[in-house]
Amino acid sequence: MTTDTGEVGERRLSLPAWRDIGHGAQRQGILLAFIVFLILFSLFSDRFASWDNASTVFRQVSIIGTIALGVTIVVIGGNLDLSVGSMLSFSTVMVVDLHDKIGPAPAMAITLVATLAIGCVNGILVGFLKLNSLIVTLGMLSAIQGLTLIYSGGQNVDITDQEATWFAFFGRDFVLGIAVPTWIFLGLAVVFHIVLTRTAYGRRVFAVGGNKTAAAFSGIRRARVVFSTYVISSFTVFCAALILGSRVMGSQNNVGQGYELLVLAGVILGGTSLLGGSGSVIKTVIGVLILGFIQNGLLLMGYQYYAQWLVTWVVIILAVWLDVASQRGRLFTTTA
Amino acid sequence: MKMTATFAAVSAIALMSAPALAETMTIGITQNNVGVDSYQTTYERAFVEAANADPNIDVVVLDAGGDVARQIGQIQDLIQQKVDAIIIWPTNGQAVVPAVRQADRAGIPVVITNSQIAEAGFDFIKSFSGPNNIIQGEYSAQMMCDALGGEGQIVQISGQPGYTTAIERQKGFEDELAANCPGVEIVETQPGDWNREKSQRVMENFLTKYDKIDGVYSGDDNMGVGALNAAKAAGRADETVFIGATNFAVGYEAMGRGEYWGSVYQSPVEDAKNALETAKAVASGEEVPFLNYFDTPKITQDNMSEFEKPVF
Repeated sequence: MTTDTGEVGERRLSLPAWRDIGHGAQRQGILLAFIVFLILFSLFSDRFASWDNASTVFRQVSIIGTIALGVTIVVIGGNLDLSVGSMLSFSTVMVVDLHDKIGPAPAMAITLVATLAIGCVNGILVGFLKLNSLIVTLGMLSAIQGLTLIYSGGQNVDITDQEATWFAFFGRDFVLGIAVPTWIFLGLAVVFHIVLTRTAYGRRVFAVGGNKTAAAFSGIRRARVVFSTYVISSFTVFCAALILGSRVMGSQNNVGQGYELLVLAGVILGGTSLLGGSGSVIKTVIGVLILGFIQNGLLLMGYQYYAQWLVTWVVIILAVWLDVASQRGRLFTTTA
Repeated sequence: MKMTATFAAVSAIALMSAPALAETMTIGITQNNVGVDSYQTTYERAFVEAANADPNIDVVVLDAGGDVARQIGQIQDLIQQKVDAIIIWPTNGQAVVPAVRQADRAGIPVVITNSQIAEAGFDFIKSFSGPNNIIQGEYSAQMMCDALGGEGQIVQISGQPGYTTAIERQKGFEDELAANCPGVEIVETQPGDWNREKSQRVMENFLTKYDKIDGVYSGDDNMGVGALNAAKAAGRADETVFIGATNFAVGYEAMGRGEYWGSVYQSPVEDAKNALETAKAVASGEEVPFLNYFDTPKITQDNMSEFEKPVF
């Protein structure tokens, strides 16, 4: 996804990763859009602005949101990950299926290893073999779906004793009045934000996504960094699978189908550049929340699903435009 | 030694006498996407078992893997093999029509199984064998009406928008309620896309929006159990009647726990057997109804012991 030539590269020749983040904090187009939507929906539906509803939406977006955190890091590193949807199906089917066979803890351990292994495959192909990430992860999207079907033989899997298992914690429990999925989502967001903005590793991710040549001259091993972003992304898929499997207490073979696009929509909505080198997980959180609140708000207002599809995409375009506009404005002032 | 000889003799007689009883016929089937769900997996197994049980039937079992181009190729292969009848589980009701026409031109009778093809193809097929989705919707409406005593406000979670099965189940349900149970009002319908997690989300939003939900009708139990999960989490499951349009194992279990009211029992085994019987009949030139439905009875907490737990 990165280009060695062109102005994006030149602008970042001096590895200005954290200056970029400083700018990111100043560009509040997305946050503004988010607040405008919230106010609009509150005016139209009296149920919308309530603690219960807000906590429902946070819980609902936590699956897509958690994955979006990992994908944000992949995208900042200059690549794409379209395999997360079918990876989620795979991971959820596996953890749910093994739950009744070998117990929750071993099931989680094996699923974690298997999911990270898939992330490693992505990472090796894109990082070390330097293959195009779009092609690789698009291929993996269908390959993993096939793997899931082979694993399950097409059968839906279910957890039999839903009331008794402590596995219910991840999707159904509350801690301090806040749903565990929300804790996982926001907790990971904080951790990832700190890693990206406060550590040498974070700066390397921005560097390889911004300009690989410059990064290489600075002694950064691009392949390793790219590899690690895919492992992180597969880890977030695993976390999402725990939430999904526990929430539903079962899984279809194609449960994650299409999630990759929702995830990507959240990431883009958060203003992370598909060209790599810039972005923020906190803004991804806002992007994902915008998507969640729009769908929830439209449903509460009683719109038909086709109106929801339409409005969702109109809003995405509007929000991205708002963000890009404010970004451009600042770019003019810095480059002039 | 003696036993082996006897066995050999018996099998020799059996081999010789088999063709004498009736002429063997070959039936080809191209399925939609075996392995994508348990229904289709079980269907294939039941189909092969039923065919093996009949010594006069040879079957060529193919699977299109969800790919319409591959399915058209398979239909053409079966025409080349001059089978006695072709059963098609359409991957796409519209796109297979030309291939079905070719089979008809070649004089091979075609039976469509499970999901109907486009109307343009009706002239080229002998029969459709499958469930009646409209009746399934009607049955669900009748159960809902019974369960609520003819009065209440309910929500509907439909299948994937645009899918015939989803549209027909919704239509059967809505028409039946309007005609025979006007006291039950559908306050809102949203799609659950056959996805339990999506249905759970939709139901959570319904629960936020409506203070009183007397019943939930879902296009299948998989989605219905998603809605049930949401209602249970909100502590509002007791006030609500849950009814589905196809019984799944999870729905059956929830029914056993008394949490789920009822559904419609659609057996992939009956589906497969009905398709084979229909194909046998048309291949031997018998008259069969153009719409040859198999029975999909109502299943409720009261009569569930008469049914085996669904395999899917």
